[in-house]
Amino acid sequence: MTGNIAILGYGLSAIGPGIGVGLIFAAYINGVARQPEARGMLQPIAFLGMAITEALAIFGIALAFVFKV
Amino acid sequence: MSIAALGMEGGGDGFVAPDASIFWEPVIGSGATAITRPVILLVISAALVAWFLLATTKRRALVPGKGQMMTESVYGLVRNSIAKDIIGSHDFMRFVPLLFTMFLLILVNNLFGVIPPFNYPTMSRIGFPVALALTVWVIFHIVGMKKHGFIGYWKSLVPSGLPKPMIPAIFVLELITDLFTRPVTLGLRLFGNMFAGHILMALFISGGWYMLQAGGILPVAGVVTWAFAIIMTLFELLVEFLQAYVFTLLSALYIAGAVADSH
Amino acid sequence: MHMLTIPAAGGETDGGFWATAAPIIPHPIEFFFSLAVFAILFWVVAKKVVPRLEQVYAERSAAIEGGMARAEEAQAEAKAALESYNAQLQDARGEGNKIREDARAQGAQIVAEMRAQAQAEAARIVDTAQKQIEAERQSAVVSLRTEVGRLSTDLASRIVGESLQDEVRQKGIVERFLAELEAGDIRPERVGGDL
Repeated sequence: MTGNIAILGYGLSAIGPGIGVGLIFAAYINGVARQPEARGMLQPIAFLGMAITEALAIFGIALAFVFKV
Repeated sequence: MSIAALGMEGGGDGFVAPDASIFWEPVIGSGATAITRPVILLVISAALVAWFLLATTKRRALVPGKGQMMTESVYGLVRNSIAKDIIGSHDFMRFVPLLFTMFLLILVNNLFGVIPPFNYPTMSRIGFPVALALTVWVIFHIVGMKKHGFIGYWKSLVPSGLPKPMIPAIFVLELITDLFTRPVTLGLRLFGNMFAGHILMALFISGGWYMLQAGGILPVAGVVTWAFAIIMTLFELLVEFLQAYVFTLLSALYIAGAVADSH
Repeated sequence: MHMLTIPAAGGETDGGFWATAAPIIPHPIEFFFSLAVFAILFWVVAKKVVPRLEQVYAERSAAIEGGMARAEEAQAEAKAALESYNAQLQDARGEGNKIREDARAQGAQIVAEMRAQAQAEAARIVDTAQKQIEAERQSAVVSLRTEVGRLSTDLASRIVGESLQDEVRQKGIVERFLAELEAGDIRPERVGGDL
């Protein structure tokens, strides 16, 4: 079997952000469902949170290319 | 890259998955100064966008036609639900052209990934998204410094009302976010989505092709794989639109953070 | 081999470093073209497209405001029409009520008149009947009295054996007797009890 071990690293680094982004949007959907008029206020916060959380996964793919075996 | 070369690597006969080298398509010249296919696609896309925008806004009918309607609905999306809602109605108009250009350029280039005869998402070459992210990065720093002054801008990174001992730690964190995380993730998010989506589609299509040519029961699996390739193409359409939207939205958010009165 | 960075067999002739480089290394031409194309497109959008679209926005909002004013006017008109219609309806309803009220009053009056008339008629009939009855009774009483007087005198004269007629007539015995009888003064006596 051949391949790049960095891909495994990326897979691992994607777990946390995956859960995190899911939590953020779950909370966002909950909030909008309870108070639809708060959508405009919640949306930037949700996307900002997503950007910050997803950063780890994005660093993961970058580093998977950088630290190739 | 060549099929023969790939074939040899897999031991002569086996299937070799497409890799990053499928993205290297120089048209004129070679090496670091080559004009590559995505560059040509980018120019075509910009020309298309410019032509479409100018053509559909030429007559400026009060009751819009089809083309004007399209332009106006995209413009309305960027202007009202991205720029106005996030930057605030006070000074969002300054940034509408930037965000509108950004959104359209990214959207059209992303859509090139599934539209024949282009079939190449320009943003899957890191040079393009990084350039756009860098543009956004420079702009939101400049407008932030214009608004708060050079020192005031760095001060405004730390939220007010924090206990004194925490300020240095938060400042360092915010500095890293501001100078490094934001531009890097902004560019890499777009790149990664386009790159992975394109390579996935290439994998499905080339794998299906390989299985169709093989003997035995494999062609059935090849047909199923191609069906999945079609589903993936539709999914890619969604992702392409979404990434253009997210890129523009995050640009607006960063600009809004820089020009906000209190951070 | 590395899945993402295959050194292709004919590496150098096939594109060199850039064919196999890690995909996160920006290609300089692509980077600069991106900046240049973006700048040009931005210039076009900022100078031409956005002002045009903003103008359309402004015109449309003005047109919409004009339309709103017109719509408000029309609404006011409709409201006025509705009000006058309502007023008319109210009038008609009031008139109808009055007519119905009048009719009812008239009906009641007619009924009352009829009843009074009928009562008067009934009273008259009763009155006439009573008068007739009274008259008949009077005449009956008169004739009875004569008859009774004559009969009793006849009887008495037959018993006594002589005519009492004249005497009775003279003395008014029968009359007196009947009067006493009516007054209840008469007491039954044993006539010839000691016979």
